[in-house]
Amino acid sequence: MIKNKKLSQILLDYSLYIVLGILILIVIIKDPSFISLKNITNILSQASTRGILALGVAGLIVLQGTDLSAGRILGLTAIVSASLLQSTTYASRMYANLPQLPIIIPMLVAVIIGGIFGLINGFGVAKLKLHAFIVTLGTQLIAYGVSCIYIDRPPLGAQPIANLDDRYVRFVTGSLKFGAFEFPYLILYLAIVSVIMWFVWNKTVLGRNMFAIGGNPEAAAVSGVKLSTNIIIIFLISGILYGLAGFLEAGRVGSATSNSGINYELDAISACVVGGVSFSGGVGTIPGVLIGTVILQFINYGLNFIGVSPYLQYIIKGLIIILAVSIDVRKYIEKR
Amino acid sequence: MKKIIFSVIFICTLLFASCGENGKMDETVPTLGVCFYKYDDTYISTVRQALEKEAEGKVKLLLNDGKGDQGTQNDQIDLLIEKNVDALLVNIVDIGAAQTIVDKAKSADVPIIFFNREPAEEVLKSYSKARFVGTNAKDAGIIQGQIIADTWKSDDYDKNNDGILQYVMLKGEPDNPEAVARTEWSIKTVNESGIKTQQLGLQVCNWDTELASRATEAWISKFGDEIEFVVANNDGMAQGAIAALQAAGYNKGDKEKFVSVVGVDATDAAKDLISKGYMTGTVLQDGQAMAMALYTIGVNAASGFDFIDGTDFEYDTTGVSVRIPYQAYNGEK
Repeated sequence: MIKNKKLSQILLDYSLYIVLGILILIVIIKDPSFISLKNITNILSQASTRGILALGVAGLIVLQGTDLSAGRILGLTAIVSASLLQSTTYASRMYANLPQLPIIIPMLVAVIIGGIFGLINGFGVAKLKLHAFIVTLGTQLIAYGVSCIYIDRPPLGAQPIANLDDRYVRFVTGSLKFGAFEFPYLILYLAIVSVIMWFVWNKTVLGRNMFAIGGNPEAAAVSGVKLSTNIIIIFLISGILYGLAGFLEAGRVGSATSNSGINYELDAISACVVGGVSFSGGVGTIPGVLIGTVILQFINYGLNFIGVSPYLQYIIKGLIIILAVSIDVRKYIEKR
Repeated sequence: MKKIIFSVIFICTLLFASCGENGKMDETVPTLGVCFYKYDDTYISTVRQALEKEAEGKVKLLLNDGKGDQGTQNDQIDLLIEKNVDALLVNIVDIGAAQTIVDKAKSADVPIIFFNREPAEEVLKSYSKARFVGTNAKDAGIIQGQIIADTWKSDDYDKNNDGILQYVMLKGEPDNPEAVARTEWSIKTVNESGIKTQQLGLQVCNWDTELASRATEAWISKFGDEIEFVVANNDGMAQGAIAALQAAGYNKGDKEKFVSVVGVDATDAAKDLISKGYMTGTVLQDGQAMAMALYTIGVNAASGFDFIDGTDFEYDTTGVSVRIPYQAYNGEK
């Protein structure tokens, strides 16, 4: 009897992965052509900007917070990077007299803007003692407002920022070629960011403090961890990642508008939750976040691949998120 | 708890297993990959349903919902190309991204037909198998302007008798080309017909009824009877304006308390308001005609014929675009 219970416990703890495994299996059974190298690199490169965003949000969830502003910050930084890297031969550029900039400059600008928003969020949480939900709800609107003001200016007025510099598009959407096999740069960028973030989370004092604060803020404070400094730095890092993701997203899409990035934060939060980052704080791993992102993208792609109605896709994704959180809550109750 | 989790799992798998492609289609029929900018847009869903009806049993359609996000749509196009569709029909989210999309189609040598939202001419011409089917963005504005001008001239709408048409404008999105063209050309057309205008206010309401209603409420309390016309980029926002006007006691049948409201789209809700006399007019974008054109031209492209071979369609002066005309709607037909 006891052994039986254990089995059902295990089944329950891993039920999310079992369900996702079944879903992927069904996709493959319905259409075996799904398993192709091209499909897999497609999925991974589509997951890349979302993955970078999710890595940023994950740290905040570990701190028992969240971030509703990630998508809009990504949108703003996408617009700014695109506007600085429009093709110099394009007549209606936003900055008609701008010389061709090295790619690194717009990237830095995007990262700085993202960082500033991260600092504002962090300041709100650490110093003003607001819940992250409220601060980021506010900054989300501010970022959208700034995007609209930036994009709707004379002499051109509001229009999508397009005709991007070739170098920029190649930098983002290009790939390493090994014979017939193409390895997209985007996957490489995600890998680099992941390694850096893994290092920050696991090998630095900051990372240790982050988990300590997320697990139990009072205990962390008593043991001498400076709460506000650490919180602000984690938010700053998340902002930097949004900026980087925004820079890559504009190049990937080929254009940016005031609508860019809308609702991306929800995908990022779902990826974290599916990847085992706990909303009760203090728990989460970088590989988990990556797996969450890739699995969600896999399902996204797979559902489209076998032609599931988009409306049903919303319902399936909603159920997956509820399932993920209910398992998380169950583990949390057990711990207590 | 356990039971709940298990039942969620059960529903999940059941839902998933039950959907997906129904039945086996004949492998010889052409496959069209269709990308809509957003499924739940009134006009777009008319087109989608008409297209599905037209294609039933004859052509395989792979329909995709861009959810208003160009990133998502890019992903879907990659997927459709990977599925080896015979032609792509794309209602692009952000026309700025058209070059990226054209390049994707070009490198896979798939014919691509954009519809509804128009990419720049030079983008279309960068690939010999790229075309556009749609309306002329500024036409909706021009027809809306004509409705306004005709209404103004037909009766005494000049409430303050200053000879100037005072209006408020409800704009769709700040950088959407349709919204920009409608906003500009509606008023330009009124002015060209010899009527002076004055804009009391302009608000961007993202095509949204609720936001338009709130904006109009604020204007009513600020300007009151000074507002003579409400010009909306679409019927959804016109509907919101009418709701606000009615809450303030206007547009309920009393001719003295009436503000003329015009929209675009000819949605069923708008037609109903027009038939009751609460709304002045709207511009009809013919979804059926659009779906027919897409179907015919799409099948031609997918079967390897030239796009407009054997059809009544003609290209306009650009040589790559087919135009579906707009029509004025004021309840008379």
